[in-house]
Amino acid sequence: MSPRAPAWRKRRRNRRVAGWLVDILIAAFALGPILWGLSTSFKPPQAILAYPPEFVPSQPTLEHYALLFRTGIHRFVLNSVIVSAISVALALALGSLAAYALARLSFRGRSTLMFGTVALMSIPLPSVLVPTFMLLANIDLTNSLIGLALLYTAYQLPIVVWMLYGYFRSLPIELEHAAMIDGCSRLRTLRKIVLPLSGPGLVAAGLFVLTFAWNDFVVAVVMVSTEEAKTLPVAIYGYLGFYGRDWGPLTAAAMLSIVPVIAVFIAFQRYFLSGMTGGGVKG
Amino acid sequence: MAHMSSTGMGALGPGQPRRLMRQRLRRRDEATAFAFVVPLVAIELALVVSPLLLAACYSLFRVDYFELTRFRGLGNYVTILTSPMVLNALGATLVFSAFSLVLTLGLGFALALRFERDTRSSVAMRAIVLVPYVISMLVGSLLLRWIYPRDGGLSSMALGSLGLGDYSILADPRAAMAALVSNAVWRDSAFAMILLLAGLKAIPAELHQAARVDGASAWLRFRRITLPLLRIPILITLVRLLIHFVNVLTFALILTGGGPNNATQTMGLAMYRIGFIDFKLGEANALAVLVFVFNVGLIACNLVLFRQRRGS
Repeated sequence: MSPRAPAWRKRRRNRRVAGWLVDILIAAFALGPILWGLSTSFKPPQAILAYPPEFVPSQPTLEHYALLFRTGIHRFVLNSVIVSAISVALALALGSLAAYALARLSFRGRSTLMFGTVALMSIPLPSVLVPTFMLLANIDLTNSLIGLALLYTAYQLPIVVWMLYGYFRSLPIELEHAAMIDGCSRLRTLRKIVLPLSGPGLVAAGLFVLTFAWNDFVVAVVMVSTEEAKTLPVAIYGYLGFYGRDWGPLTAAAMLSIVPVIAVFIAFQRYFLSGMTGGGVKG
Repeated sequence: MAHMSSTGMGALGPGQPRRLMRQRLRRRDEATAFAFVVPLVAIELALVVSPLLLAACYSLFRVDYFELTRFRGLGNYVTILTSPMVLNALGATLVFSAFSLVLTLGLGFALALRFERDTRSSVAMRAIVLVPYVISMLVGSLLLRWIYPRDGGLSSMALGSLGLGDYSILADPRAAMAALVSNAVWRDSAFAMILLLAGLKAIPAELHQAARVDGASAWLRFRRITLPLLRIPILITLVRLLIHFVNVLTFALILTGGGPNNATQTMGLAMYRIGFIDFKLGEANALAVLVFVFNVGLIACNLVLFRQRRGS
C-alpha cells in the first residue's frame, strides 16, 4: 500500500503540471501577438528590429505615442467615441421600443417581423458595402459621422432587438399590468417599469453595439475618406500606408484602439458572452 | 382583468359587453405596436434591404461616378464571371474557408471541452482566448502582420535560428495563405468555443453521471453523449463561421494585401478592389449580388438551425 500512494500522487501532480503548460501555451498563442505589439510600441526605433529580440524593452520610451498625438490622432479617437455613443443610444432607444412591442403586444405581422429580425442578424456586411456606399453618396451621407452611426445602428439593431426581446420576456408581467391599471400608457410603462428592471439586458446589448462601432473598419473605410470624419480604425489603416514598416507608431496606434476594448471586456465579460450566443442574459 | 374596466378605459360604459372592450384594447395595442416597430422597420428597409435591391438594379448598368451611364443587361455578370481575377479569388476563398473552417472548429471544440467546467482558471482562460476576438479585426491583423515580416518579424527570427533567415513567409504564396488561415484561427477559435460551450452546458450532467456509473469510458461518453447532443450547436457554429470566412475582407486586406501575386486575394477583397480601387461600380454590384445569393443559402441554413435550437 505505502509504495503505491506516492506513485499515484506523482502521476496526478505530473498531469497537473502538464495542464498548466498547455494553458500557458494557449495563452501565449492568444495573447502573444498583442503583447509583442505592446512591447514594440514602447521601444526606441533602433531596438525594434534588433536581434535577438527584446521581449521587455530595456529602454522604454513614449516617443511613438507622443508622435501620434502630435500628428492629431486624438481627433480620430474623438470621432470614434462620438460615432460609438450615437450608435449605442440610437440602437438601445429604437431597439427597446421594437423589442417591447414584440415581447408584449400582439399585432399583425408580428411573426414576420420576428423572422425578418433573425434573418437580418446574419447578413454579411461586405456584400452590402458597394450598394450602401452608392446609396449614401446619393443622399450625401458619406463622410459623415451621423451617416456612419446610422449604418452601425441599422446593422446592430436586429441583434439588439433579439437580446432585449428575450430579456423583456423574462420579466414578470404583473408589474406592467399594475402600472397600466394605474393609467400608464404603454410607452410610460416601458420607460418607468420595464427599462429600469432591464439593466443587465441593456448593458449587454449596449456593449455589443459599442464594440462593433468602436472596432468597425470595413464599413468606415468605404464610407469615409475625409480627415474630419475618419474614425480610429480608418486612421490606423492610413498609418499603415504612411508609416509602412515603421512599426513603432503603428503598434502604438494599435494599442490605443484595443486598450479601451480590453478594459471594457474585462469589466463586463459576462455580458459579452450572452450577446455572442444570441441568448438572454441572466440578471 | 375585469377590474381594468373601471380605470383607464374611460370611454367604455359599465354595461358594454366585455368582448367589445377587449377588441378595442387590442386595436389600441396594435396601433401602439406599429408605432413602436416603425423605426426598426424604417431603418432596416432604408439602410440594409434597399441597398440589396439597389445592387440588383445597379448591376445591370455601366456606372461612372455614380451615374448609370449605359444599360448593359447581364453584361456586368458576364464580365465578372469570366474575369480571371474573380475566378482566382473564388479559388482562394475556397482554400481559405476550408482550412480556416476545419482548424477553427477543431480548435474551438478542443478549447470548449478543456474549459467547460466553471473553475476559476477555466473562466480566466476563456477570457484570455477571447481577447483576439473582441479587439478590432483590423488591429488583430495588423499585429499579426508585425509577426510575419522578413525584417524584424518574430517568425523570421525563429526561422533564422533554423537557418532559414532569407525565407519570407508573406512572399511565398502557400505560406502567405497559411498566414491568412492563422489569422482566422487566431481570432475566431474563441468564437467557436463560446458557441460550442453554450451547447455543452445544455447537456444534462445526469447523462454523463449515469454513463459513468455504467462504466463508460471518457471517449465512449464523448462519442455517444456529447457528439450526438452537440449536433445542432456544431452545425450552427459551422454555418456562422462559413458566412464569416466567405465574406471577410479585413484579414486579406491588412495581413497579406492579397499578395503575393493575388494568391491570397479572397472574394471580399476582390469585391473591394473592383468597387473602390478600380471604381468599376457596376461590376462590383454584380459581384455583390452573386456573393449575396450564395450567402442567402447559408443564411437560410442558419435560420433553420436557429429554429431547431429554439424548438429543442
